[in-house]
Amino acid sequence: MNTLRVIFVGGLTSYRALFNWISPWIFVPHTLGYPIFEILFFAYLGRFAGVESDRFFLIGNAFLGIAVTGMFGMGHATAGERRSQTLAAVLASPANRFAVFLGRALPSIVTGFFVAATSFSVCAAILGVHVPASAVPGLALATVAAAFGCTALGLCIGALGLRGRNVSVFADVIAACMLVVSGANVPLYRLPGWIQTISSGIPLTHGIEAARATAGGASIGANAGLLAKEATVGVVYLVVGLIMLKVFEYEGRRTASLETF
Amino acid sequence: MIRAVLTGIRLHMKQASRNPFDLSGVIVWPILYATIACYLLDAKHDPRLLLSASLGAAVMLMWSLVVIASSGALEQQRWQGTLELVVAAPTPLTAVIGPICVAGALVGTYAIGATLAWGALLFDVPVKIEQPFAFAVGLLACALSVGMLGLILAATFVLYRASFHLGIATQYPVWIVTGLIVPLSILPSFVRPISWLLAPTWGFRAIQEAALGRTPWPDIGMCLVLSLVYLAIGGSCLVGFEYVARARGSLRLT
Repeated sequence: MNTLRVIFVGGLTSYRALFNWISPWIFVPHTLGYPIFEILFFAYLGRFAGVESDRFFLIGNAFLGIAVTGMFGMGHATAGERRSQTLAAVLASPANRFAVFLGRALPSIVTGFFVAATSFSVCAAILGVHVPASAVPGLALATVAAAFGCTALGLCIGALGLRGRNVSVFADVIAACMLVVSGANVPLYRLPGWIQTISSGIPLTHGIEAARATAGGASIGANAGLLAKEATVGVVYLVVGLIMLKVFEYEGRRTASLETF
Repeated sequence: MIRAVLTGIRLHMKQASRNPFDLSGVIVWPILYATIACYLLDAKHDPRLLLSASLGAAVMLMWSLVVIASSGALEQQRWQGTLELVVAAPTPLTAVIGPICVAGALVGTYAIGATLAWGALLFDVPVKIEQPFAFAVGLLACALSVGMLGLILAATFVLYRASFHLGIATQYPVWIVTGLIVPLSILPSFVRPISWLLAPTWGFRAIQEAALGRTPWPDIGMCLVLSLVYLAIGGSCLVGFEYVARARGSLRLT
């Protein structure tokens, strides 16, 4: 019960701290403008190259929007505490670490869903992409699975933040790599075999594949395998992230240092 | 004044080049954009197109760095509590902020080397610069003009701390509108006049024309003209916004 309280009260406080100070005329262009223009950029690049359809880039990049918020939300949780010089105080508290950092990430994840759905709808209208209403439940399911996986990966990055000073840049680089490796913008068959192997082991890849198949008319049952793979990848990263959180905090306490690189 | 500008550029370039971890971002981002472009454009079987895409990806990063450098530097000073001292100093604020923007753009030139080497190694992109001198001049003109465009953005950062988020949001629109990887010919016609007003359009064309052995000098000239126009607009905005911030006493609190 206390863990849930820490997650939700922490999430609410974090939401107020993150967004309360920002006025809507900056919040809306920033949060919606960036993903909308990202989708348009890659859709136009795809048109120019004559590779894949607008729907391919629309789905891939909308999913990236969710990934980025989940991953950054968790990844930046420790970095944010470090920046405001409260990391040591947080670690000294008896609260469950996972609950604290998940609470910090929760507003980003919720905002990510809203942003992805809105930018998807706006860009579908601009690019003239039609997605049948019957595909919405399948898309929502794929979205949840992908968001879970990306948040779990974010936990690993956030755990690194207990030892590293600048994990934001690292998170940035990982997010950039996902542009290519997850198959969001480049069809997987065009990538070399070794990248395809990495793709199958990272969050998002199977989620995007499931979403594209759903939008193409496949049923949820037909995509069950892909969704299960996405969820499994997420579980693996979650376990690894929790272990890293534990080990790095222990190491930080043992060496009396929260910065090693 | 000239000494302050040159020292500022040197200092900020050194500062931005110190942390290998930060530099990895400078190298990785354009390489990834170039990679996406190469994988997609490879279908067209045109090596010159791949070379242009590599250069375009580097200019994309140049713009991003200018946005981040101009806003990040001010935000950093707000955090450190030194922004008031910078504003109160007798050196004009333009001479302090201008070099930050230009240094950001110059750091972006690292990306040119990275994307060209990456393209040559992985995608067999022919890295043959037909006019090396014009290419070098074009690169500097591109960095100067993109940096000066950043000065206009930076002016708003003096007044509003949240402007950083608006600056970040301008990345993709500017990349699209200036035709850095996606040619303007496939975009709606209203985009073209907008592109003429933005430095990355001319900066990219200058280095692209020099690399491909065509006519880069008119584009280099446009970069210089735009730099002066941006300097006039950005400088005036800075003076005005600085006055407003002083009058409201809101330099630190906005």
